[in-house]
Amino acid sequence: MNDLKQLAFQRKNIMAFLAAASLLKGIATIGQALFFVFIADRVFLQNAAFESLLPLFGGLFAAILLRVMAGYAIGRAGVNLAADVKNEFRTNLIKSFAENPLLSAAQGQSGQKVSLLMDAVDEVDGFFSKYIPQMIQTYIIPLLLLVVIFTQNWTTGVIILITAPFIPVFMAMVGKGTKKKADEKMEQLNRFSGTFLDILQGLSTLKLFGQAEKQQKAIRKSSLSFRDSTMEVLKSAFLSSLMLEYISMLSIGIVALEIGLRLVVFDSISFFTAFFILILVPDFFNLLKDFGSAFHTARGSVSAAKQLGAELEKKHSPLTWGNEAVAPEPPHLSLEGLSFQYGEGFELAPFNGEIPPYSQVAIVGKSGSGKTTFMHLLAGLLPQSQGHLMINGVPRETVSEKSWFDQLSYISQNPYLFAGTIRENMEIGANRQVNDKEVLAAAEKAGIAEMISTLEQGFETLVGEAGRGLSGGEKQRIALARAFLKKPSLILFDEPTTGLDLRTEQILQASLRELQKTSTVITVAHRLHTIKNADIIFFLENGKLEAAGSHDELLQNYGPYKEMLAVQQGGGVR
Amino acid sequence: MNELKHVLRLTLIEKKDVAIAIFFGFIAGAASVALMGSSGYLISKAALTSHMTTLVVMAACLKLFGFISALSRYGERLYSHRATFTMLSHLRVSFFDRLAPLAPGIFGKYRSGDLLSRIVGDVESLQNFLLRVFYPPVVLGIVFLSTIFFSSFFSMGIAAVMFIGMLLTVIVVPALFSIRKRRTDGQTRAKRGSLAIEATEFLYGFRDLKIHQQLNAKEQQLANDAVQYNESQRKEGLEENLAQSINSMVALLVSFFVLGVGAYFVAAGELNGLYLAMLVMISIAAFENVAPMAAFPAYFEESRKAAVRLEEIVAEPAAPRGTEQLPEGPLDIKLTRASFSYPGEKKAAVDDVSLHLKPGTKTAIVGPSGSGKSTLMQLLLNVFPLDHGQLSIGGMPAEKLQQESIWQKMNVVLQENHFFYGTVRSNLLIADPEASDEKMERALAKVQLELFPLSMAVEEKGQNLSGGQKQRLAIARALLKGKSLWLLDEPVSSVDSLTGQAIYEELFQQGKGDIFVAISHDLAGLEKMDQIIVMENGRIVESGSYQELMERKSHFHQLKQVENSVFA
Ligand SMILES: Nc1ncnc2c1ncn2[C@@H]1O[C@H](COP(=O)(O)OP(=O)(O)OP(=O)(O)O)[C@@H](O)[C@H]1O
Ligand SMILES: Nc1ncnc2c1ncn2[C@@H]1O[C@H](COP(=O)(O)OP(=O)(O)OP(=O)(O)O)[C@@H](O)[C@H]1O
Ligand SMILES: [Mg+2]
Ligand SMILES: [Mg+2]
Repeated sequence: MNDLKQLAFQRKNIMAFLAAASLLKGIATIGQALFFVFIADRVFLQNAAFESLLPLFGGLFAAILLRVMAGYAIGRAGVNLAADVKNEFRTNLIKSFAENPLLSAAQGQSGQKVSLLMDAVDEVDGFFSKYIPQMIQTYIIPLLLLVVIFTQNWTTGVIILITAPFIPVFMAMVGKGTKKKADEKMEQLNRFSGTFLDILQGLSTLKLFGQAEKQQKAIRKSSLSFRDSTMEVLKSAFLSSLMLEYISMLSIGIVALEIGLRLVVFDSISFFTAFFILILVPDFFNLLKDFGSAFHTARGSVSAAKQLGAELEKKHSPLTWGNEAVAPEPPHLSLEGLSFQYGEGFELAPFNGEIPPYSQVAIVGKSGSGKTTFMHLLAGLLPQSQGHLMINGVPRETVSEKSWFDQLSYISQNPYLFAGTIRENMEIGANRQVNDKEVLAAAEKAGIAEMISTLEQGFETLVGEAGRGLSGGEKQRIALARAFLKKPSLILFDEPTTGLDLRTEQILQASLRELQKTSTVITVAHRLHTIKNADIIFFLENGKLEAAGSHDELLQNYGPYKEMLAVQQGGGVR
Repeated sequence: MNELKHVLRLTLIEKKDVAIAIFFGFIAGAASVALMGSSGYLISKAALTSHMTTLVVMAACLKLFGFISALSRYGERLYSHRATFTMLSHLRVSFFDRLAPLAPGIFGKYRSGDLLSRIVGDVESLQNFLLRVFYPPVVLGIVFLSTIFFSSFFSMGIAAVMFIGMLLTVIVVPALFSIRKRRTDGQTRAKRGSLAIEATEFLYGFRDLKIHQQLNAKEQQLANDAVQYNESQRKEGLEENLAQSINSMVALLVSFFVLGVGAYFVAAGELNGLYLAMLVMISIAAFENVAPMAAFPAYFEESRKAAVRLEEIVAEPAAPRGTEQLPEGPLDIKLTRASFSYPGEKKAAVDDVSLHLKPGTKTAIVGPSGSGKSTLMQLLLNVFPLDHGQLSIGGMPAEKLQQESIWQKMNVVLQENHFFYGTVRSNLLIADPEASDEKMERALAKVQLELFPLSMAVEEKGQNLSGGQKQRLAIARALLKGKSLWLLDEPVSSVDSLTGQAIYEELFQQGKGDIFVAISHDLAGLEKMDQIIVMENGRIVESGSYQELMERKSHFHQLKQVENSVFA
């Protein structure tokens, strides 16, 4: 709660404004009661003529206007304050998502993260738009009222002083119980979003396995349990406002009794004072009650903020980069004891090797042997745990991230197509403006131009989510076109030809040969022909570099390689 | 209001709660008016009399009203909220129920972030429907009318002032703001949706954005969307604040005029001064809760929009499906002259295709990328309805069959498989909820994933698995299901040949009398298949055994030539 308060108090201007408006509202409240009572007293007891009351009515009107305006100003400031803080939260959250290293980005559920960005931040609203303004008012107005009450009838003041402190004590007691429940509720909403998005994505799978109905039940269950935890939170909120109601009623009752006694029995107080106090005292308690319900809204906000804080505080170990620019030509790469491990999981043993400029490198190995991981490491997407990747003789950490990625094209194993046009999806790979001709040329090189030309809207066809569906190979080729658009000096291909037929592969081979003239190409490959032409082949097994050399070298010296080739040529459906 | 019909229907499932809430709401309102009124009366009376008894009786009444009001308020809140949140859970479930039959077609129309924001955000916002739209006017109306009725016994003038006040606060001010809102509206929901969409895509496409150095640009765009959403929320908040302030001003002015009119009548001797304070207090109490009415149009619009956004998705009727079950025992699949084109496409993705799959046979489908292989498989699965032609399974026409009963008989590995956030175990249990650990481990061993512990975490979409591991896990899932119709769409395309071959052998071994259909780009090893189907441009251009096709020296033969030249 204190963290959130700090956020509010950092905005000094708004807080000062709130205080000033609250002061005005307090004065107006007192003025309103005063004029009210004046008029009632004159009419009722002094039989005054109506005309003589007009100035008093004027005063009452002014007090009402002032009160409303002050209330409006407070509300407005609250809304602005909340908007400001929410903006800050969202910006920070988005920044943290963007700065996430690849590895932690893969963790957790996207739906949950989206829910944080949307629902949790929205939940924070109440703290700033309701609680803070109410809190400031509660610091100021009741105090004013109390002063006035003391000047009018000090015994009433004493009664209030004795009874009022029960309210915060009680609030704190109930609040303690709700804290955990409010946290739970927020967490459940979050989890629901995560699960729901995942289920949505896998709906077809679920249906194929006849599990859709079961999921339905799961959704019903989690939805009902969400309802129950919401109700738990609300119940205690309602209960506490019931209690506040009773406390305030009890105090008002005692005050009324005391005033009544004085009025009737002892005659030691005027009707004017009695009525005035009777109007002010409920106002006093109303403010405390409002504060009580705002307090409950704030509880929800605090739970939400806690979740946001947890996400924002996640320690990332980002990759470090330097400022040295990489020359725009194929680099000389040396791997010096480069190694990596996924947390406690799969480990890539220290790698040593050289990749001279313009070389063609093939990486082979069984599924799960660490090829993709190795490519990620080479591309500078994962932080090595030991060793160095030397780029033209300097460690990767000292080169500038931008200049490195400007040189590099990496087509990953299952590239993502964004919702947008085919053209946009290709351009994403380029680091500059490209014209139509270049786009067409890239599509041709990737062997997808013909297919695109049959589409009614050609390159402007929308693909990705909510767009036109594509076949597996078509998606792959659009992603490949990204590399042809860029003219990089270092290219990493992770199984570029999976899902492509042989004819398309022929086209691709020609295009690749062209690329090789101007760049270093590193390819993860299952297919023989890519491997055969490579200058160096890295053979991986279980995360270890078991052998390196040209095709002929490996064929002669390394048994497992020979075995692998035999299977490829020999057959078996794949 | 039409749009809200479904929501209303779901709300009224909890009829009893709603009725109780309205009842308590009325009692609470009336009691608090009575409380304030009697305190006004008490003080005036006390000023005139010196009877202790009046005072005591009145004070007792005060207490009673107070207790009743507070208790009923509690009851009202409890029941209305319970009804609301039960309604929300009904809504979520009913939405999902109606969404499920629309997959996978729905994903061609809506982005997943959109669907997420609708089912979470929009459903959540519908909580205001009961709490702020449906019953407050009802309760408020009843309380007002009874207050005015009561006041009219003392002074018609004051009753008239209150009546006008009621019209203003309950109808005129909300209506004015409703008109203002119409002009600016629809923004917040839509902006919220687009932020959710962008955020989801940002997270899903994170790796590619990073690789292509587009993170900054996208981050900017996302931040921009967030700012816009925030701004539109802020405007909405300000508008609500303005409306509430105006309404509370009107409410205060009503008591001002009640006092004025009352004072005038008292001075003129037409009203007993004893009742003045009471009437003023009544008006204050009755109008105390009217400020939220100002927000009525906002919440009404919001609920309506949310309901529309929800209905939009599930409105289209799912294609009618049959209800009959498939018979037991070996089944054959027969497709005759089937054509299918994707919605909105001119060209047929599968064009006039006939094929017959007999139990105990193995069929391979080959052909260039985009030739319709995967589509053909979806047709065999009866996922899409045929435009022309006929699919029959086990001799029964597919239209008559319940879709689930077809899928229940099939082991399917799609070209892209979904894995759920969870563990290896939870992902395998989807195929067979009753499977024992040993059974699952055996299935994993068959696809050479024996190193995976069942408790191993699987990240969203299986991001922590290698490409080949995902495919193998999908095969393990199919193995666990253990049915006799195998439909495999490039199941081992990302697996090395050695492992891939071993897995195929394993599969063929397990399913000796089964039907196998496998799509493949690799022509090596097709000798083992009983039938090879060559597709091109949505048509079957050639089919037969390996031997036959090689002898015919046509399409398949050419493909083989290409293979040789590529591998040369
Ligand atoms: N994000 C991750 N977190 C934890 N472990 C991972 C992660 N990504 C991959 N792994 C594990 O690291 C190992 C190597 O995976 P990698 O993707 O590098 O294999 P690969 O050689 O590319 O295999 P394939 O040919 O099947 O694509 C696998 O056992 C995999 O489960
Ligand atoms: N959802 C869709 N909407 C419109 N057209 C589609 C959709 N899905 C696929 N297509 C088109 O239908 C044709 C056949 O696609 P299909 O996925 O069946 O090809 P495929 O033979 O499996 O290719 P691949 O080997 O690349 O997987 C392609 O031209 C493709 O662009
Ligand atoms: Mg890989
Ligand atoms: Mg396909």
